[in-house]
Amino acid sequence: MRKSLSYVFLVLAMLCFAAPLFAQGGPAASSGVNWVAITSGFAMTIASAVCGLGQAKATSAAVESLARNPAARPGIQLSLILGLALIESLALYTLVIIFAKVK
Amino acid sequence: MPEQLPFTALLNRLFGSLANSFLDVLHFKHNPLAPIGNQVAMQILVVAFLIVVFALVRARLSLDNPGGLQHVFEGIHGFVTGQSEEIIGHHSEGFTPFLVALGVFILTCNLLGVIPGFESPTAVPSVPLGCAIVAFCYYHLQGIKRQGALKYAKHFLGPMPALAILMVPIELISHTARMLSLTIRLFANMFAGDMVTLVFFSLVPVGVPIIFLGLHIGVSFLQAYIFVLLTTVYLSGAVAEEH
Repeated sequence: MRKSLSYVFLVLAMLCFAAPLFAQGGPAASSGVNWVAITSGFAMTIASAVCGLGQAKATSAAVESLARNPAARPGIQLSLILGLALIESLALYTLVIIFAKVK
Repeated sequence: MPEQLPFTALLNRLFGSLANSFLDVLHFKHNPLAPIGNQVAMQILVVAFLIVVFALVRARLSLDNPGGLQHVFEGIHGFVTGQSEEIIGHHSEGFTPFLVALGVFILTCNLLGVIPGFESPTAVPSVPLGCAIVAFCYYHLQGIKRQGALKYAKHFLGPMPALAILMVPIELISHTARMLSLTIRLFANMFAGDMVTLVFFSLVPVGVPIIFLGLHIGVSFLQAYIFVLLTTVYLSGAVAEEH
């Protein structure tokens, strides 16, 4: 309990380093940092990472069921390819938004 | 003068005035110097090439001495028929011509971008949107033809009449989202393949982009197959009959 509390205080103390952030003004980013580009980098990372996890789960389930029952290969192969393409397209939606919004 | 591919420049030189008058009649916004855009010219090329190939196959059909081309198309036909039989069930042979045409068209469009001097028409958002709208209209029309308009509309209402008020907006949105997802999946895969090859070309001009071109070719085949597979799945949902 005391250890986790000290971790919480440590994190709060490190957040004080973010004080210069309050100096930034309103929404105009004409001469400042291009936040849209930075955010899009993080967004694409999250999308690709979670998509990778989802596809890994789908592939592992398919391979396991194929090892159990090799006779069902056509059905398993079909479901695997279909599932992978649908999961992949979710990461691609993020990519499309990035290309639409980042200047 | 906008940037044009060599084939587009040729088409604009030959048919420019005709295309200009046609587009003016329809009040489409276009650049008078290049009324035929790159993707339109590439699609015309793909269609002309496919017509020649299919005419060749038809002319050389033979029972005793099938050539290589006939084997390829027998393979494609058998594959699509087998898959639609597995997914849709009985009476699915009528859908094979449309599915083969759609698949071969998308595949040729995707692969055209690998050849220097040409670009993939599917790398612009409008072409996959066209394919998706065609697939959407096709499976709804087949559903209506198979089951009758009233019975087909009734299956949007869901399993119980009490849930109908909830199911109708969900079904409508999910059906339009199918079009969106088909479009974006095909467009983003082709566009991302182009972008990735360009990025690595700007980093290491020799050798490395070939790996990404190879990946792009693999993705082209896979995405054409996925488009046809998903259209088959939507068809099976539309023409399925409750037993």
